[in-house]
This record gives sequence, C-alpha cells and structure tokens, in this order.
Amino acid sequence: MGPGDLEKLLARLPEETAPRLLSSIRTGEDAGVYLLSEGLALVQTVDLFPPIVDEPYAFGQIAAANALSDVYAMGGKPLTALNILGYPCGLDLEVLEKILRGGQDKVHEAGAVIAGGHTLEDEELKYGLAVTGVVDPGKMTTIGGARDGDVLLLTKPIGTGILATALKAGLIAEGEMADAIESMRALNREAAEVLAGFRLHACTDVTGFGLAGHLYEMARASGASAEIWASQVPLFERTLEMVSMGMVPEGQSRNRANVKDLELSRWEGDEKVIDCLFDPQTSGGLLAAVDPADSDIALGELRAGPCPRASAVGVVLQQSPRRLSVRRGGSA
Amino acid sequence: MMEEVDLDCRGLKCPEPVMRTKKALQTAGGSFTVLVDNQAARDNVSRFARTAGCEVKVSDAQGGFLLELIPGAVKPEEMPRSGEMRCDAETVTVFFISSDEIGTGDRELGTTLMKAFLYASSESEDVPARAVFMNSGVRLVTENDETVAHMKRLEERGVELLVCGTCLEYYGLADELRVGRVSNMYEIQSALVGADRLVSI
Repeated sequence: MGPGDLEKLLARLPEETAPRLLSSIRTGEDAGVYLLSEGLALVQTVDLFPPIVDEPYAFGQIAAANALSDVYAMGGKPLTALNILGYPCGLDLEVLEKILRGGQDKVHEAGAVIAGGHTLEDEELKYGLAVTGVVDPGKMTTIGGARDGDVLLLTKPIGTGILATALKAGLIAEGEMADAIESMRALNREAAEVLAGFRLHACTDVTGFGLAGHLYEMARASGASAEIWASQVPLFERTLEMVSMGMVPEGQSRNRANVKDLELSRWEGDEKVIDCLFDPQTSGGLLAAVDPADSDIALGELRAGPCPRASAVGVVLQQSPRRLSVRRGGSA
Repeated sequence: MMEEVDLDCRGLKCPEPVMRTKKALQTAGGSFTVLVDNQAARDNVSRFARTAGCEVKVSDAQGGFLLELIPGAVKPEEMPRSGEMRCDAETVTVFFISSDEIGTGDRELGTTLMKAFLYASSESEDVPARAVFMNSGVRLVTENDETVAHMKRLEERGVELLVCGTCLEYYGLADELRVGRVSNMYEIQSALVGADRLVSI
C-alpha cells in the first residue's frame, strides 16, 4: 500500500497509546518498540512479498535480509524470526525448501534463530518473516532526529523495483541484475555497526516508499527539509536503461504522488534519475542522517568496509516552508 | 462515439502494457492507439514509445488515457523529455570565492576589487544559482559589513550561499556568520562539480 493510503487507513483506527510503546507505525518508524525494563526494549517487525527473483534460495535470503533490516535501522539486534509462507497448491516441495533454507541461512548469519512459522495456501507464492529483536532505548535510532546540516549517507545503490519489473518482462535475465541481487541479500548489520560509531541522528532503511519517499518521511518526522543530490545517488547497472524501456513499477507513481512538497530546483537534469528516486526498493540500504563533522570519516569507513558503493546523497536543511528538493548535485 | 482503439491495455498490470505495446510496434504499419487505465501504465508506455522513436500524444479517455503512438516521428537521440516533468532548463552558474580579495598584488586594491565585484553581481540581471565561500572568502560573509550587505541582496534574489564550515572554524568566525549558511565539503564538492558554468574568483 502506498504511504498516503496507509496513513488514511490507520487514521480510521484508534491509536495505540500504551506508555511502554516507544515507537510504532504512527510515529513513522520501521518497527514497533516496546519497553521491557530499564535499558531493554523489544523491537518487532514483519514483511512478506511475492518472489522478486526466480531463484528460490536467493529469494529466501532476500526476504530474510529485508525483514531483518528494520531491526538494524533502529540500532537493534535480532533474536528470533517466524517464517510466513503462502504457497499455491501443488507447488514443488523442493522450491519451498530452498526458499526456507535461504531464509534460515540468512537469519543464522544475523545471529538469530528461526523460532517457528506459519504456512497458508495462497494463489501466489509469498514469503516473509516476523522478526523480534532487542534494543537499548537510550541508543535507539529513530527517523525523527535529523538536524540541520546533517549529511545523508546511503549504504546501497537503488533500482531494485525497476530491475525486478524488467526481469518479469523478460527484458533482462537474472544474471544481468547480479549486483542488485547481491545487494538485496546483504544484511544491513555491518553498515549499522559502522554508523553506530558516529554521531548518527536519524536512520531508516530504504524499502517500499523509495529513497525520496523514506527521506520525506524522515524530514517530516524531524521537522526539517531535505535535499537530494541526484547525481550522487548510486544506481544498479542497467537501471536507467530500463526506465527508458518503461519498466517503472506501479508503486513508483504512488510514492511520488505522496511527496506533496517536492521541488525540482534549478536543475535541468534527466527525469529518468528522478524516476529512480521514487522506485520502491526491496531490502534497500540504510539512509542515515550523520553529523556533518563525522560524515566524511563515516562514509570512508562504510566504503572501505561493508558498503563499497555507499554515497553522500544529500543534506538535511532547516528551511521553510518545509520541502524535499532534488537537485543535480555533482557530476555524472 | 467511441473511437476504435488498436490496443486495449485496460486491467493489465505493469509491465504487461509495455510488453504488448512493444509487440504491436513491431508489426504496426503506421500510427496506432493504446488505451490504458492507470497513470503508471500511461507513463511507462510513453517512456518506452519515446525510446523506440515514436511521437506520443496523450489524451484522457474512458476513465483512462488514450495514447497515440506515431512510429519514426522522432529520432531516438532527439527524444523529448517527458512532458510531465517541469525542470528549469536554465544554465547553473556557480561562483567559487576562495579569497577575500581578487588576484594577487596590492592587498588594498584586491579587497576593493572584490567589494566592487560582489556589488556588481548583486545588481546584475544574471545572478548565479549559488555562491561558495572558502578559505579567507568566508570573511566576506562574516566581518565585512559592505560585502555582507551585497550578499544579503543576492540571497534575497534566490542565490544560495554556501559557506565552508571548516574555514569559519579556522578563522574563529563560526559564530559570526551573517549571511548564507554553513556547508560541508560534500555539498560544496557537489555544487562545484555540478555547475554548468563555474566562475572562480
């Protein structure tokens, strides 16, 4: 569901206001956080979706990395995961086994365990996980803390929605989106660990709302404006080409329509790049608002370490009226 | 009266409308029409058709959009930008001011020239998109009353003034900024490299 519709739907329901509920979807957070005791809170999140790639083991890995990501975005540590598997009647058991094995291996890589799960018959194959973790509420990263001048670091390239659409259409083969598959199944754990060593004011993971959509939510929650430097945004190979071929997924226009205060300032740039900024991502990277005094070193450590394609993609600004601006930025 | 539609893509999810259009284009003798019922399909079919060298005319129809594709009307390299996007096509000029004086020679002359240049810029019709202040150039937006006034005028006219934070710290002027805003090396690098026309002073 697009961000606009989701907000409307939730507005029809009574708001959860338990004092121990530290964050929820109402605060725009990726995961629900519930205070257990002094210094210890529970982080919970769930996500499932139909296959984004054809190879079942890779799909399982991607679904698990994606579900775990919300916990990392908040600075937490995952402990347990529950599988959720919807399968069409008659589907080969071997396929299901490979999907679950991919998920299990990824959960183990994260240092967590599969504690159970649930299956149901469904017209279309779907897989995902509900993940539970812990976080120290004092060190928790939310989306609402971005400050004027913070540099926005993005840890993975974008374009998975466009490439998955092109794959579905048969315009590219799975081997031609190898960099995107590699990226989608990579955990955000190490990126989160690097960022935790710096003055990190806000953090989210880039998923369904697209890079610009999630940044918009972060800026809104922080009471700030933000600017994206489009040419600094790393893209997967062939993404722009597939935009020209009309392979933009439907969620993209919903994401774009939701950003009401969009400003394309003094930029004659290529609209194809702007299309990518709203592309819904699966298992995207972390988007972190880092103190400008730390951002150079943080970016250097990310690039030298877990995220070779990390980039400084914009800045948080105190502007009024509040807006999300896109300008060309650097070269390319 | 409903006009005859060559390709009805209503009720189809992306990327199916594009795939059908692609197939239809291969056998089409001349222009043909595609009917879609959502914005995403409209945009995607348009993107694809333009890439394939078609001229695309879009009109509202039957609760959706009717696209007329005219093959061969546009050479792919002359592809028009998508009509939906309204990007300002003006040239992006950036001033890079890395000193509080112009040129090397007599200091008094150099600072007078800088004042005159900034005054002239603030009065000029052709203002830059942004101006970047580095090294001793940060004095021009902090301790120099005259140039601060000129720069305020530029800022009022929509010019973005980016001031190097490290330089302000170095000269002990961090609390003295009177116009523009503190910036970092990423943004400055991006502003300089992204300029169509870079004017170094």
